[in-house]
Amino acid sequence: MLNNPYIKVLFTAIGTIIFILIGSYLIAQLASFIAKLFGVKARKRENIFAGYFFASPWIIGFLIFVVVPLGFSLYWSFTDYRVTSGQPAQWVGFQNYTTLLTNDDNFKASLYNTLYLTVFGLPLEIAFALFLAVLLNQKLKGEKIFRMAFYLPVVLGFNTAVLLCWRLMLNTGTGIINQILRALSSFGPFNYLMRACIYIQEIVSGFFLGLNNGNFNLLDKILAAGFPAPNRVPLWVQSPLWSKMSVVMLIIWGCGTMMLIFLAGLNNIPKELHEAAEVDGATSWQRFWKISFPLISPYIFYNLVVGMIASLQIFEPIYVLYRDNQPLVSSAISMVYYLWQKSFSHFEIGYGSAISWLVLIIILVVTLIQFWLQNKWVNYDVY
Amino acid sequence: MKKTFKIVKSLVLYILLTFSSIIMCFPLFWMISSSLKTVQETNSPGITWVPAHPTLQAYIDIFHNTNFLRAYGNSVFYVTLALFGTLISIAAVAYAFSRVSWPGRNLVFFLMLSTMMIPAQALIVPQYVFFNKIHWVGTFNPLIIPGYFAGGAAMIFLLRQSMAQIPKELDESAIVDGATHFQIWWEIILPLLKAPLATIATFLFVGLWNSLLTPLMYLQTIDMYTLPVYISTLFNINQTVQPWPTIMTAAVLTTIPLIIVFFFAQRFILESVVVSGLKG
Repeated sequence: MLNNPYIKVLFTAIGTIIFILIGSYLIAQLASFIAKLFGVKARKRENIFAGYFFASPWIIGFLIFVVVPLGFSLYWSFTDYRVTSGQPAQWVGFQNYTTLLTNDDNFKASLYNTLYLTVFGLPLEIAFALFLAVLLNQKLKGEKIFRMAFYLPVVLGFNTAVLLCWRLMLNTGTGIINQILRALSSFGPFNYLMRACIYIQEIVSGFFLGLNNGNFNLLDKILAAGFPAPNRVPLWVQSPLWSKMSVVMLIIWGCGTMMLIFLAGLNNIPKELHEAAEVDGATSWQRFWKISFPLISPYIFYNLVVGMIASLQIFEPIYVLYRDNQPLVSSAISMVYYLWQKSFSHFEIGYGSAISWLVLIIILVVTLIQFWLQNKWVNYDVY
Repeated sequence: MKKTFKIVKSLVLYILLTFSSIIMCFPLFWMISSSLKTVQETNSPGITWVPAHPTLQAYIDIFHNTNFLRAYGNSVFYVTLALFGTLISIAAVAYAFSRVSWPGRNLVFFLMLSTMMIPAQALIVPQYVFFNKIHWVGTFNPLIIPGYFAGGAAMIFLLRQSMAQIPKELDESAIVDGATHFQIWWEIILPLLKAPLATIATFLFVGLWNSLLTPLMYLQTIDMYTLPVYISTLFNINQTVQPWPTIMTAAVLTTIPLIIVFFFAQRFILESVVVSGLKG
């Protein structure tokens, strides 16, 4: 019976609860004892005991699952530790970091891919989220239903099931998205619009792939081929030029959280400002850009920071869409996917630790830069 | 004139709203529609919005697929067990941060908030080595046990904010009556916080149900796979013909619990996301 994995985990769970209770009790006793040494009154000591007792699950967990692992991974990142080899880790100094930064094509690719997601995907996501929020903010009847519909993708999120549905829809030949696009492109203006979008996307994507490869042959080819032919459709999950755009589509689709935050921002704008401007004869368009937009800049900033961190940490879409797809993986690989590959397919723990520390550092630096830049354009005047 | 303009304006808005909603919900519709098709239909060019002859064959097959049923059971089992411990420990820690005053509270609270900056990915490698050392790789433990230590700083923060709004007099009078902190927490505070607790439970449920990376790392045999891991094995780039109806049937059955939970909890979620700016 003890070999049944379900029973085993039940016992472990009960054991963990007992462990946490005993640990918390000991910590609380210790705190209360120290307080006694300092001559704290009994009434207050009771509070100290309760406070430490209730907070201890987190304190113990913080030590076991955060502090100690971070310390070990920092140490391992300077070694060549492999979990399977059975040999003790050898100190290699900064070698893992220098290899990563100067001599690792996959890591370089993951950096450029993240950059693409940030400069091309994130603005599109923010714009779409803002668009939806402005629509909802018109306070029409049934707003709640629409709001639910817009938020639903966040809940479905990056579940493998939903990602595979996207994979089906994005099939180049038979996928529904391209079928719809083909049907619509018999309509002249739409055809031109779509081809223009394809052209822009391929140029941007080719530029990023060029940055990554160190030569711009592909970009030259795209430019030489000129404006796409009338029967062209996006190649989504089939071409290195489009693999990242497919991920951007998914990100845009999941913009519900950003939209809710914008909605809160729009709600906070004093009504009088809009009324006064309307009296002065300002159009809705002018009111949006001159009143709403500056006033929601803190919210845009917040979404920018969170969105960048999220695109630095993206994993599931890459795994589900491109795993085992050799020619495409490198065009879409993300830092976390690479970390997973190195640590758990190749078991290079030392190298993987170095990647995770670089991700951590990059996230901190990006956030700090954003906080520094915000003084230049974010408007906090009314708050 | 002004009235016509207003009607036209709201008409345009409704069209835009409806159109956007259709786009946002389209994958869900397509998932259901594809699950009712035959393999030929899903792999052929040409648009079939709704299959002319819907077939439940994929559903019948999947209920005979022991691996899928097992994966479903595994997901339900592990999510339930993890959810229960995580929720209770979060409620306890939030109580310590909001209703009890003790020296060091601000420091610990600050530490807790700062862990939100650490991406989970920075911790997965050393945690894996640690769990490997204590022979937990290949068991459900690593997916469940860390949560029991009040995993999820954002959730603690959210609950603490709601807890702090309850008037202080409530506990003071209870203390005068001789109640212990445990009684105040369990019998007075938690019953007042049903809505925030429901929100947090929903967020935790969604996160656990969708989680792919940790199960992928720690579960090694197919009979222990959770749903996302199992479903990802159904799609294989090396197959010449993808069994789309089967995959989409599995997808529909996977998303049903998410949608049910979302419909029941959506009014709490939509409010609290705005309040706290949480990433759901």
